[in-house]
Amino acid sequence: MAKKRAPLKKKKELKKKARAQKKVQTKKPVQIKKKTSIKKKIRPKGKRQVNFVGQITRIRQAEPATVIEWPRTITHIHTYGMLSPFFKGLREGRLMATRCPNEKCSEKRLWIPPRAHCPDCHTEMTWEALPNPVIGKIYTFTEVVYAGTGIELSTPYWQVDVDIPGLATIPKSFLLYGEPHIGMKVKAEFRTKNPTNTVLDYYWVPYEK
Amino acid sequence: MGMITFKEGNLRIPKWNRKVFVVAGGTTAYRKYFPDYKLEELVMIAFKNTLEDNNLKMDPLEVKGLINFAAYGEFADHFQDQLLCQAKVHDYLGLDPLYNVGIKTGGATGGSAILAAAMAVASGYANVALAAGWERMDEVDTRTGNFYISTAACKDFETRLGRIYSSYYAPMANRFAWAFNVSEVTRAKIAVKNHLYAYYSPYAQQPGKYTVEDVLNSPMSAYPLRFLECCAMSVGSACVLLCDEETAYKLTDHPCELFICGGSHTLRVADRRHMEVPLLPHETPGMYKDLYLKEGARYPGFESFLASRFAAWLVYRMAGIQNPIQDLDLVELHDAFTISDLQTYGDIGLRPYGQEQDYIESGDAYYINPHTGKPGECPSNLSGGLIGTMHAVGATGIFQAAECLWQLQQKYDQFHSDPKTWKKWGKEKPEDWESLQIPESSKQALWVSHAGVGSHVTVGILRKSW
Repeated sequence: MAKKRAPLKKKKELKKKARAQKKVQTKKPVQIKKKTSIKKKIRPKGKRQVNFVGQITRIRQAEPATVIEWPRTITHIHTYGMLSPFFKGLREGRLMATRCPNEKCSEKRLWIPPRAHCPDCHTEMTWEALPNPVIGKIYTFTEVVYAGTGIELSTPYWQVDVDIPGLATIPKSFLLYGEPHIGMKVKAEFRTKNPTNTVLDYYWVPYEK
Repeated sequence: MGMITFKEGNLRIPKWNRKVFVVAGGTTAYRKYFPDYKLEELVMIAFKNTLEDNNLKMDPLEVKGLINFAAYGEFADHFQDQLLCQAKVHDYLGLDPLYNVGIKTGGATGGSAILAAAMAVASGYANVALAAGWERMDEVDTRTGNFYISTAACKDFETRLGRIYSSYYAPMANRFAWAFNVSEVTRAKIAVKNHLYAYYSPYAQQPGKYTVEDVLNSPMSAYPLRFLECCAMSVGSACVLLCDEETAYKLTDHPCELFICGGSHTLRVADRRHMEVPLLPHETPGMYKDLYLKEGARYPGFESFLASRFAAWLVYRMAGIQNPIQDLDLVELHDAFTISDLQTYGDIGLRPYGQEQDYIESGDAYYINPHTGKPGECPSNLSGGLIGTMHAVGATGIFQAAECLWQLQQKYDQFHSDPKTWKKWGKEKPEDWESLQIPESSKQALWVSHAGVGSHVTVGILRKSW
């Protein structure tokens, strides 16, 4: 700890010095400008006016009301938090699940989607990898034909809810190929090459003995 | 096996500290694209409709002068692209500096806003409370709108697997059909019925006289749900006015007493662990013992909604409902999809679980029972519902309540028949218009406001009190 603190202190001191220097540096030019810019104050040049730096807003329609376009592109910074081991597991080709370690808790089964805390007794859960191959049964399914904006799977595709032995839950995923029916056995596979770093990194394929 | 277990305190039946009444309702028409008005302008139109067109015994501005509190329903900031919309609307309605709260519980937002307003009246915070809701879903194209809605599925484990809500209901439809042996014709009949009832409403966005074949031949959204089985994506607003007993009778000779309760369940269907069925007053222990014997069968599983069942479980006891199909004269259900409508019949006890389809097949759900030619036992969604008329999400549960109120007050024609109302919304009243007014002897109506794949549900009951 002591070793780590020393360089931090140094950094802080350096920052302080830099700030102090900046203050000195920035004050001086301002003063100079003030002395020489009395005329400019009266008739400011374009440089000192507020400029429109956005893109012109397009009018989509004018009647019966004016309707404009309002474009935007946004990136959110999203954390997987305490569920990070699940997504790391997918990249490594493993399904990671959580289990409540509290002996007094009545829920003994595994959770996928995982939870960091048991909803019944609030105990912090522990992680377990499901042994490969993970075989499940299709509980229900749908064919997604018309999907929303940003869909990352080629439509149409089969979305499947899979009953995995030992789980309290029935997680949602997709079938890579084939046609599902309720009760059909399927095997989990993983997108370890070029992973998407999302829940789409695992999926199911028909399982024949 | 782990399951949800209740302790006694959890099962307390809600009780108002004083009675709560609904005296007036108002709405706009609903459209897919509605550039004619800004959002707050639409809410003003619904608010004026509430104050001016409900035969209240006071001048509209005098009624406004009685309001103490407002609860505002809005589903998604994504759609409005305006945080604190409530402040804009509240100011626009001229209600400052009264307090208001914004309510957000997905598709159940409208119901929850009414619950919040009712709590204000029941507690004594307010004598008169406004519940208003809205949604403006036309700032983005349809697929982007569907993506926005799908962010009301779990963003880490579900949203990317469909980016459209039909793909979260469709697996339930397949499981439901498999578990309870239901033909898709039954679902199609629900779509036909609700589009048809919307045909008689000047507010409706998706009216139409369709056949079962039309529904089954319409484009697929997510198998087996077709476009004609899916709700509208709407712009519009609705309001209701809630009062204490004394004020209610000052304002009208025809107030309806209000009971409303809510329930909730996991956002992800995946996480619904098996549990015992909470029994409604008319159900008997053991009646479901054979229903969940199939391998992998769970309650509520993919077939039912615990949130709806729990809300009904509470409100039936709160309102003293013994047998819903007999005691209720009208229901307005949250038919976001044909399948969710069908599922709900079991949850609220119109039929036992496993026999939901019989509510449609028997003709009980119709204004006129197609088998007998007589009024249906307990007609459903005479407003046209979400499939036929509207789903401007924050307004939906409020619009449904207004329709229930008008039906009990014998004002269906007043609000649906006047050619001026049709003209106001740029429509012509159909020559073959028919009244869907329920009989004067009707006493109680129920409406369901429902979110997610059953994450939040309110069940409200209006009781004729004159």
